Amino acid sequence: MSFTFRAGPHRTVQANLEAVEAQLLAYLFAQLLDLLGPAEDAKPSADPLAIELGLADLGAEPEEVAPPDDPALARLFPDAYRDDEEAAAEFRRFTEGDLRSGKRDRVQCALESLPEEKGGRFDLDEEQAQCWLGSLNDLRLVLGSRFGLTDDGQEPGTGLDPDDPLRAYVPAYHYLGYLQETLLEALPR
Amino acid sequence: MCVLSAANARSSPAEPDRFCRLKECDDRTVSTAPIELEQPDVAESDPLEAADRPWTTVVWNDPVNLMSYVSYVFQTYFGYPRTKAEKLMMDVHQRGKAAVSTGTREEMERDVAAMHGYGLWATLQHD
Repeated sequence: MSFTFRAGPHRTVQANLEAVEAQLLAYLFAQLLDLLGPAEDAKPSADPLAIELGLADLGAEPEEVAPPDDPALARLFPDAYRDDEEAAAEFRRFTEGDLRSGKRDRVQCALESLPEEKGGRFDLDEEQAQCWLGSLNDLRLVLGSRFGLTDDGQEPGTGLDPDDPLRAYVPAYHYLGYLQETLLEALPR
Repeated sequence: MCVLSAANARSSPAEPDRFCRLKECDDRTVSTAPIELEQPDVAESDPLEAADRPWTTVVWNDPVNLMSYVSYVFQTYFGYPRTKAEKLMMDVHQRGKAAVSTGTREEMERDVAAMHGYGLWATLQHD
């Protein structure tokens, strides 16, 4: 019998993907990784002379404390205080970096657990299953933002022009929801 | 929240080469704010009294998160039994929000950060 995710022994999840599913997910996970931005240690190295003279921090970018401009990222890193901009900025200063790198690590983990392009049967241990769960959710949040979803029951893709390239993501959004729902049912409790 | 109908979702996941890059699709200015409920401002009075009032973590409804996922998060992170998790999830879904934990400011900041990790929209407030 065909399945996508099902509970396996020892709290694992057994997965089964068609080739086109594996290819699509590899593509989407890579997109999410790209959207989340480079890892902290990928920043350009400072001039060694400047470091030695203690000038390395001058002119450095201040810690980003405003919500991201990209609405999809703003949804992934929302304000923690509704009516207190200062408190929200402080909270963001202390937490956004870790939140971002955590999501990056999760997508990376999901990507690495994917079988090759031909798809097939593979197993996820508990950690990998959590990486999938979080990454599928993050992807859906990003797509929901791109679609401009604001209300429950709003059909994704309504209001998009017929030639809007975003329309290609509508079936993917539903598919990701199916994946996440199915994965939830397969997780050990 | 998303009430998923998965009937035909697997049959047409779509081909990767038809997609625009998600990173470049952000030229829409859309609000992703959840449906807001008016909340009366609680005036700060006696500072000593204010320090004794607990803080609360509030989870807000959004159109993307699956009901099953929200319930799962409440069970997994807070350790709530299924019935309580489902009740809180339905409060979020039907009333727009739910208070999911209370405690010190530091504890609530930790819970809010965890909720954001799960992709839920949460805020903390002083009761």
